[in-house]
Amino acid sequence: MRRLISLGVIIGAGLLAAGCTAGSGTSTPTGSSTGKAATTANSTLTIDNENGALWTCDFNPYNAADQFLIVGFTYEPLVYINPLQDGKATPMLATSWSWGPGNKSLTFQIRQGVTFSNGEPMTAADVAYTFNLLKGSNNPLDVPGDWSVLSSVTATGKYTVTMDFAHAAVPFFYYIADQTPILPMDIWSKMKNPATNPVTDPIGTGPYIMSKCSPENITYTANPHYWQPGLPKVHTLQYPAYTTNTTANNDLANGQAQWGSQYVPSIQSFYLDKSPDYHDWFPPTVNVSLIPNLTNSLLSNVKVREAISYAINRTNVSNIGESGYEPPSNQTDIVTPTFTSDLSKAAASAWGNGYDPAKATALLNQAGYHLSGGVMTNAAGQKLDFTVINVGGFSDWVADMQVIQQDLKAVGIVINPDNLSTNDFDTDLYTGKFQLAYYDQQIFGPSPYYELNNWLNSAYTAPVGQTAATNYERYSNPATDALLAQYAATTSAATQQSILDQLQQVMVTQVPVIPVVEEVDWFQYDTASFSGWPTPSDPYAQPAAYNYPDNEQLLLHLTPVS
Amino acid sequence: MRYVLRRLGFFVLTMWAALTLNFLLPHLMPGNPAQTMLSKFRGELNPGELHSLEVLFGLNTNQDIFQQYISYVHQLLTGNLGISLSEYPKTVSSVIGSAIWWTLGLVGVTTVLAFLLGTFIGIVSAWRRGSWLDSIVPPVFVVTSALPYFLVGIVLLLVFGITLKWFPSEGAYYVTTDTPGFNLTFVQDVINHAILPAMALLITLIGTWILTMRNTMITTLAEDYVRMARAKGLPGWRIMLDYAARNAILPNLTGFAMSLGFVVSGAILIEDVFNYPGVGFMLLSAVDNEDYPLMQGLFLLITVAVLVAILIADVLTALLDPRTRETQ
Amino acid sequence: MTSALVAPTPTRIPAGHAFARIFRAVTSNRKATVGTVLLLMFILIALFPGVIAHDSPSLDNYKPGLGFSTAHLLGTNSFGQDLWAQVIYGTRSMLEIAFIVGAATTAIAVLIGVAAAYLGGLWDGSLNVLTDVLLVIPIFPLLIVIAGYARGDSTWVLITSITVTSWSYTARQLRSQALTLRNRDFLEAARVRGERRLYVIVVEIIPTMTSLIVASFLTNALYAIIFSSGLQFIGLGDPNTVSWGTTLYWAQSEAALQTGMPWWALAPGICIALLGTAFALLNYAFDEIGNPALRPVRKRDPARKRGPARERGPVRKAERNA
Repeated sequence: MRRLISLGVIIGAGLLAAGCTAGSGTSTPTGSSTGKAATTANSTLTIDNENGALWTCDFNPYNAADQFLIVGFTYEPLVYINPLQDGKATPMLATSWSWGPGNKSLTFQIRQGVTFSNGEPMTAADVAYTFNLLKGSNNPLDVPGDWSVLSSVTATGKYTVTMDFAHAAVPFFYYIADQTPILPMDIWSKMKNPATNPVTDPIGTGPYIMSKCSPENITYTANPHYWQPGLPKVHTLQYPAYTTNTTANNDLANGQAQWGSQYVPSIQSFYLDKSPDYHDWFPPTVNVSLIPNLTNSLLSNVKVREAISYAINRTNVSNIGESGYEPPSNQTDIVTPTFTSDLSKAAASAWGNGYDPAKATALLNQAGYHLSGGVMTNAAGQKLDFTVINVGGFSDWVADMQVIQQDLKAVGIVINPDNLSTNDFDTDLYTGKFQLAYYDQQIFGPSPYYELNNWLNSAYTAPVGQTAATNYERYSNPATDALLAQYAATTSAATQQSILDQLQQVMVTQVPVIPVVEEVDWFQYDTASFSGWPTPSDPYAQPAAYNYPDNEQLLLHLTPVS
Repeated sequence: MRYVLRRLGFFVLTMWAALTLNFLLPHLMPGNPAQTMLSKFRGELNPGELHSLEVLFGLNTNQDIFQQYISYVHQLLTGNLGISLSEYPKTVSSVIGSAIWWTLGLVGVTTVLAFLLGTFIGIVSAWRRGSWLDSIVPPVFVVTSALPYFLVGIVLLLVFGITLKWFPSEGAYYVTTDTPGFNLTFVQDVINHAILPAMALLITLIGTWILTMRNTMITTLAEDYVRMARAKGLPGWRIMLDYAARNAILPNLTGFAMSLGFVVSGAILIEDVFNYPGVGFMLLSAVDNEDYPLMQGLFLLITVAVLVAILIADVLTALLDPRTRETQ
Repeated sequence: MTSALVAPTPTRIPAGHAFARIFRAVTSNRKATVGTVLLLMFILIALFPGVIAHDSPSLDNYKPGLGFSTAHLLGTNSFGQDLWAQVIYGTRSMLEIAFIVGAATTAIAVLIGVAAAYLGGLWDGSLNVLTDVLLVIPIFPLLIVIAGYARGDSTWVLITSITVTSWSYTARQLRSQALTLRNRDFLEAARVRGERRLYVIVVEIIPTMTSLIVASFLTNALYAIIFSSGLQFIGLGDPNTVSWGTTLYWAQSEAALQTGMPWWALAPGICIALLGTAFALLNYAFDEIGNPALRPVRKRDPARKRGPARERGPVRKAERNA
């Protein structure tokens, strides 16, 4: 017994001693799980993007779960389109393109002299092969959704590809040119089942090669045969798998990672104060909206919806629920400052002041509701008392809802948040089994059209009980559909702007959804080791590591600081 | 021998109960969450994976519940725990494999240390009743045994990890610079990262050992044979260890088995506070990701581990204490 | 008669006398006194939170990240809420959980433990197996899985799941004690009198086990606190309620420790620890009252006058023998 105890004491002391020496050893314990690279730290960039799970080491660029890890690094698209600069186009694997008559065909000139990382040259045949691989109804590979509008894709020359459309769909240029990475035909045509075959050795035309993968970390190294000479300047990338936000944020704060794509709570004290080289930028993308179910008898009254919109203090929601990171939205559904140039002054002034509880009360009174026991009630005894479904796992949205709840209570509207699991939430949202819901559109494109289209197009809705694709509120208006179809058929900027103006009028007069705050891209960066980051004055790409193929543009612009 | 067989029988029975509970739980929940999950993933899984999940959660509409239960048990016995939804397309068994060693290391070492240290302090404190040691031991350790596990973790993290920066505040090792293996940097690094979580676990666990040991020791010291030993003039430490402690330790051993449940809870929370990539942390991550197959698999794994530990403790008790062999 | 309370095997005591005895035992035992004072303090806070905290916990108009001040005794959190209010109002939720789960679990444990002991035979065997199995299955992971499926619905899910899973330890203890009572004379007398089984169980056995039942309640309440706060901390409670565990959850997800707001996490944590300690102390004190050998050895000072010396007669004898 005594011997056991003394043994235990010795072991314990030994561990403690080892620990203390390890603490003062080469790897400085700065409270992180990544160590500073032993080489000249400048040549290795560590990416900080929390994923919630470990890596599976499957690098299929058409697998929605793994795309962000390889598109932009190894695989490239035909054209890079910058949504933050009104769709400014940068030719990548295509050098030029032109629309055919009626905008029903599109021809690309493919860049010459590009090789895949295995040395094989890239030609139009690879481009045509890639698109045709996605073909087929319900083909799981067609993540960009190209074949919902395409009718055929053919290589009409060694470096020319022509695509024919089933109907004019100009906005789909974004998905076709920017969101469809090009695959090497030689390798993929030999795969038995490209949809399920794990891709452990990705071969592409991009600036980086995936050199090592473990569940905890991925290492990329520069592609020596990349077609842009002298690029990339950063030789090695490390991409650790963070399963919690806190671990990821700690590494950012300690400088162990330099490129962050994180939600960091209280970012000023957590991160920015720690070094003058730490910066952040959160460009807004789409709106997070309160979604009314328009089939609900009480919510179908536009005045009720207008009242709700005026009653919410969006600045408060932004400051308290989102720590001020996500700017307040406006009812036109135009995200500012990203798309300020598209904002319709007429619609904005028709809407007037965003937060106006007095106006909300007046509207409710006009609709026949009066306060009774603190709740707005109409003559028939119906109370404005709703449940709102929310994703329980998104703590900031839960916090948003608490603020909204208080705001609405002040004008006599009662809402009861129901925080659900994502499975339950998705089911209820898609099938319309809700009164109010809090959600965003999972889409961002180079113009406000994409979000508006998803909300307003009746092709994307369905009756309650069936699955609606993106039009969850069950909005349907033929005049609006006509506007959206008109937009899709034109390449004229003037026509597009005029239609956008009219769509904004729809938003403020018909109030189909109520935008609350603007989603942003999360972006933190460290200028001590690298320069060339995108900034508000130079927004050359969407800056988060999970934005692809924008991540490629960022990596190509970076230079190690000597 | 019969005793060991009885305990083995109990082990099998409890394992069966845990399996059945695992199977029934999603059915008992309102709105069968497993069904919702399956409808969501139906389009993304291949038929084989889909089938294994249907069996795992008893969602095969062609069979009645009893038949489904049989298929479920059969599938589990073949080691097929299904597909992990958050780490698709890896299987649950392969995902669990990476996390087990971290928890075993952390929990194993800490539990043994807590048991040894705690028992020792308990013995000494009981032996020296009325001394300064004995007057501080009960109140101090009553407080520590009532502390929520995560509080100790948070305080240690705040003081030693964040403010003083003596130890890393999360993870098991530096993933970008270390290569796992038997090299010195890696081993040093692992120990460095394990110190704070181990301390937190130790502080919360040790209280129960000390108090239980002290109480049983006090009762034992009142026994006649101890008095006899004193009368014989044996040296104090000899009585303390050979006569009293040896008999007092046995109830502690059974207590050890029963408190394993709390060791597991403590480990889960400590792993959460320190983001230590063990089984508990993975369970929480599975819950966050709504990865039900992984949740189920981890629950079964934890239960099996606890049961095996208890079985070992029971067998040890049988070996050390002749009385148990006779009464059974 | 005093010996009735201190004897290891309980005998029948009329209810009124038992209460007076408990009161005296509490005030004479240091641990019991501290535990009771703490508990009463928390109960008072739970009953009258508005008197102690002037803000509503959900009011979020203050500047975030403030430090200590007279306006904000514990500062504010990142949402601009007053932390003192959060902690004070959170008391009620935690106490509700502790008492409801404690009582419900004890009720189940008494039912099953005593029934098993008294009914014997096949009943005893099967209830025993059920108890042992539930005792051995790790409860916290099971609760996590249950809560994982239920996903943050409400506090009642928490209360129900903890109650249903954690009665086995105390059930076992109660059964052991009930077994020792089975053949005692007063029960034999009741049987001979012709009383029904239910009457015997409820009127004769259970009151005799009062002290163990109270101890079980304290144990179960303590574990209710530990489990519920643990579950809330990892995010499986209802994040919209104001409770110490959920405050900790928000503190963690908003990185309170790393952003200079450590009291957001420490304050509720310390409260949980204090409440848990209160129950643990009371439990421990009950043990000591029941088993005099465990009592702290006080140095005997012959010079100091001992108050009610004669009443303590038998107690001193036990001390001398230790």
